[in-house]
Amino acid sequence: MTWTDALEFLRGPLFRIAFLVFVAGLVYRLIRVVALGWPKDRVLSAGSKTKGVATTYAKGIGIFPFIPWVKQTFNGNAVTFLAGAMFHVGLILVIIFGTAHMLAWKSLLGFGWPTLPVPIIDWLAAATIVAMVALLVNRFTHPVVRKLSGPAEFLNWTLVFLPMVTGYLMTHHLFFRYEALFSLHMLTVDVMLIWIPFSRLSHFVFYFFSRTIHGAQFGKRAVTP
Amino acid sequence: MGEETIYEHLTQQGVSRRDFLTYCGVIAGGLGFNRLAPVSASGLPEKLADVPGADLTSFVSHALQTKPRLPVIWLEFQDCAGCTEALTRSQSPTLVDLVLNKISIDYHETLFAAAGFQAEAARQAAMEKYAGQYVLVVEGSIPVADDGVYCTVGGRTAVAILEEAAAGAAAIIATGNCAAYGGLPKAKPNPTNAKGVMELIADKPVVNIPGCPAIPEATTGTIANFLVFGELPELDDLGRPKAFYGTTIHDRCLRRPFYEAGKFAKSFDDEGARAGWCLYKLGCKGPTTYNACATIKWDGGLSFPIQSGHPCLGCSQPDFWDGGGFYQGQSAPLDRPAATVVGAAAVVGAAAGAGFAVANRSAKKKLVSIDATPGEETS
Amino acid sequence: MTTTQIALDTFVAETGGWVASQLEACTRCGICAEACHFYQATGNPDFSPVWKIEVLRKAYEQRMTLGGKLKAAFGIEKKIDDQELIDWSKLVYEACTVCNKCSMACPMGIELGPLIHDVRSGLAAAGLVPDDLAAAVQKQLDEGSPLGVTDDVFADRMDWVQDDWEVDIPIDKEGADTMVVFSSIEIMKFPENLADIARILNRAGENWTLSSKGREVVNFGFYEGSHEHTALFLQKLIDAAEELKVKKIVVTECGHAYDALRWTAANLIDVPKELEITHIVALMDKFVSEGKIKLKKGVFDGGGGIGFHDACKIQRRGGHIEEPRRLLNILAPDSFRELTPNKEQGICCGGGGGVIAIKEADPYRFAVFGLKIEQAEKAGADTVVMACSNCRLQFLDGIQHYGSELKIKGLSNMVAEAMEGGD
Repeated sequence: MTWTDALEFLRGPLFRIAFLVFVAGLVYRLIRVVALGWPKDRVLSAGSKTKGVATTYAKGIGIFPFIPWVKQTFNGNAVTFLAGAMFHVGLILVIIFGTAHMLAWKSLLGFGWPTLPVPIIDWLAAATIVAMVALLVNRFTHPVVRKLSGPAEFLNWTLVFLPMVTGYLMTHHLFFRYEALFSLHMLTVDVMLIWIPFSRLSHFVFYFFSRTIHGAQFGKRAVTP
Repeated sequence: MGEETIYEHLTQQGVSRRDFLTYCGVIAGGLGFNRLAPVSASGLPEKLADVPGADLTSFVSHALQTKPRLPVIWLEFQDCAGCTEALTRSQSPTLVDLVLNKISIDYHETLFAAAGFQAEAARQAAMEKYAGQYVLVVEGSIPVADDGVYCTVGGRTAVAILEEAAAGAAAIIATGNCAAYGGLPKAKPNPTNAKGVMELIADKPVVNIPGCPAIPEATTGTIANFLVFGELPELDDLGRPKAFYGTTIHDRCLRRPFYEAGKFAKSFDDEGARAGWCLYKLGCKGPTTYNACATIKWDGGLSFPIQSGHPCLGCSQPDFWDGGGFYQGQSAPLDRPAATVVGAAAVVGAAAGAGFAVANRSAKKKLVSIDATPGEETS
Repeated sequence: MTTTQIALDTFVAETGGWVASQLEACTRCGICAEACHFYQATGNPDFSPVWKIEVLRKAYEQRMTLGGKLKAAFGIEKKIDDQELIDWSKLVYEACTVCNKCSMACPMGIELGPLIHDVRSGLAAAGLVPDDLAAAVQKQLDEGSPLGVTDDVFADRMDWVQDDWEVDIPIDKEGADTMVVFSSIEIMKFPENLADIARILNRAGENWTLSSKGREVVNFGFYEGSHEHTALFLQKLIDAAEELKVKKIVVTECGHAYDALRWTAANLIDVPKELEITHIVALMDKFVSEGKIKLKKGVFDGGGGIGFHDACKIQRRGGHIEEPRRLLNILAPDSFRELTPNKEQGICCGGGGGVIAIKEADPYRFAVFGLKIEQAEKAGADTVVMACSNCRLQFLDGIQHYGSELKIKGLSNMVAEAMEGGD
């Protein structure tokens, strides 16, 4: 079994399995929660729930991740804000606007889109990796975060970190042969895809529930969320 | 053997000493020694260390002056003869001409004027005469399905012919992707169960010169290596000579700076394409393809696909025909489930989720009627 | 059935999509702790809001998810036991005022306040409520008020206020448009509120009344978390309103009572859609803007800086943020100083959520009150105004505890004092 053979398997049959598990698992998780039933809110609104939702999304995604220091909660846990924002921004931009990734999406979706220059993606990837290391250190040093961190949190971190690191090594042809690094990248990506639906990594799906509920609850009371 | 040496043969043909030395330089170059960066990958420095005071050309010159011509038997199976065509169309006739005509080809299905039983008889004779010494070159894949009936020559299966020829060969060169890895015939659904030489012959040294076609200089350079050193060059883990297959197209590509800068052609003949930008977005498989196209190039160094504006197909890699499509990004997964399969997975997930939720809800219903008066239990 | 089992069953019974999706959204980032004044004041990570709901999370995962069931089965995560619930009772009742600042801080937008409320609900069902609080609930069940405002006490107090303050307070008036409900804290501890609010309503020409049946707006069932008790106390008010055929209920200076009646009641009991529920702070603002009462400008200027304490359940969770500011800009335009943070980001006084009723919680509520003193000092406020009588109690206790010179005022009292014209 050469690295070329391994690559064929990890990009081929194993990816197929991982992707299907990812889809089935996420839908399962979503339906399992959503189908639990939603009580109707019979309280009369004083303000607009819709406006609250729009405001909280605008603030939560569009504004505060980029200027977290204005928040009162910043000083006690600056690392989570800064490294967390960098991590998310970098992750999303690299996965969507990195040329190599865009071509993978194109093969799955049937259409592609413009991408960012390789040197910029490269810088983002490096910054994201540094951010992840900072977040890991924070899980050991911050008293609150340490209390909240168990095996699941460290496993989640590892399975997200490995694809990033292998991807970076691969792009730079560092240390090992390209097929070996590509294989490791695909292996770690496949494992991560399988793990996402069964862990808190799927928070990106539930974000839309909690954020919307939050906006509605505050909008209902005519308070800015 | 008492045969004349190559040098003697050449001088008989009217080649002057000066020309002979030039030819040696060409062969030395063709062995990949001074044209490719990964010289050490070719294993040459170790070999040269054994020869005191040697420089390449004199080394080659010495070999050709002392060795007899090399018998070469060239078999074709499930092939298109493209590798042979590439050789004969090659515009570096010096090396090719040298190796094929001046060194020796004792049997070549395509090149021989003879045909039919006479050609077969000539082959048998050569195999017997040079048993244990000849180099067997194989072009085309070998089908094994249905007892190998899908490729027969003179009523005999390719498998049988190969096994017989391999038995008496000193070394086997599988030229072209088909002979190396199964090539086009092996592409899905692979009805003939095509195989490369390595999958069938385990007891003789086999070197793969994949490509579609193989670069002529790679084939002849490897033959020359066997001629000069009496053994096959150092190989990578896919059986390819490191001298020619030691680096990827991507690493030697003239358009690499555009890749790094993120300047990609988005479609054929668009602005970027005309400006000679990187063809990664058009499906170039350069990063995972090991070959010498970007350095030795084709037609005597004239050009190679990327230089001419077409993305690399990855034709020196196993299973490149099933590699996801020539215009699909190199980074894309090879196996993508169809939309219906994905939909089915989603349905399965939804059903499982709904089932679980229903079970949870009925469990909840049973709990709602619990007595919840505080102060009932001690705290 | 064991205590633990009742609590867990209650957690599960209350977990629908609304709760589950938010429990699933948590990424264990710990930012909620940075917004919690109990954590900020003590540095104890146990007080992190997310940690306070850990028992709910575990119950949900271990009972309603595949992963949780497997983790419990293989011993990767322990099942919840009696001691754990006792420990958590302390956390959610003594070190949480359900102020909901954590809800605003969570990067995922998780509504931690209601989730903590759910934890209390399970603990209440299991009888794991701190003794002091349980006793107060029992008193409200038995006597109609946690501070003992029985029928007789109510009648007596009303007579006394009307006499001493020379103000008319209609009770059980038929044909009234508005039913006003006081908190027993005001009735027993700040009787001037009764007089001042009555005076304001009378001056504005409001057709109002108290109800002897629906006389207590405080809802200790709400603090306790028991849906049954919360509903019971709310029903009394709705019944009284329906009996009197009023169009509007006004909650006076109380915070959690407003949260319970305005923002929770309709999901627990039937509340007629036409029945308007409002807070005295909003009503006073309305009176001013409609010209029904006139306030002398700057009555309270010249007495040092005046800050406004945003009550969690009236401002952040109530929505009446600008009303008190509009009033203060008339009452003390030159002295008004905004605290930092303020409005919907305001810091809780530390006495809400039932904490003030629990003796064992005193160290915690005094610790967090230190933050309020700091705020007042930083803003240059010598006096702090508020529109919640529970906050007032906490402020008075806290000021005494710290030996601070800070003064406090009730907003209704200020409005009454500044009203122009004769009675």
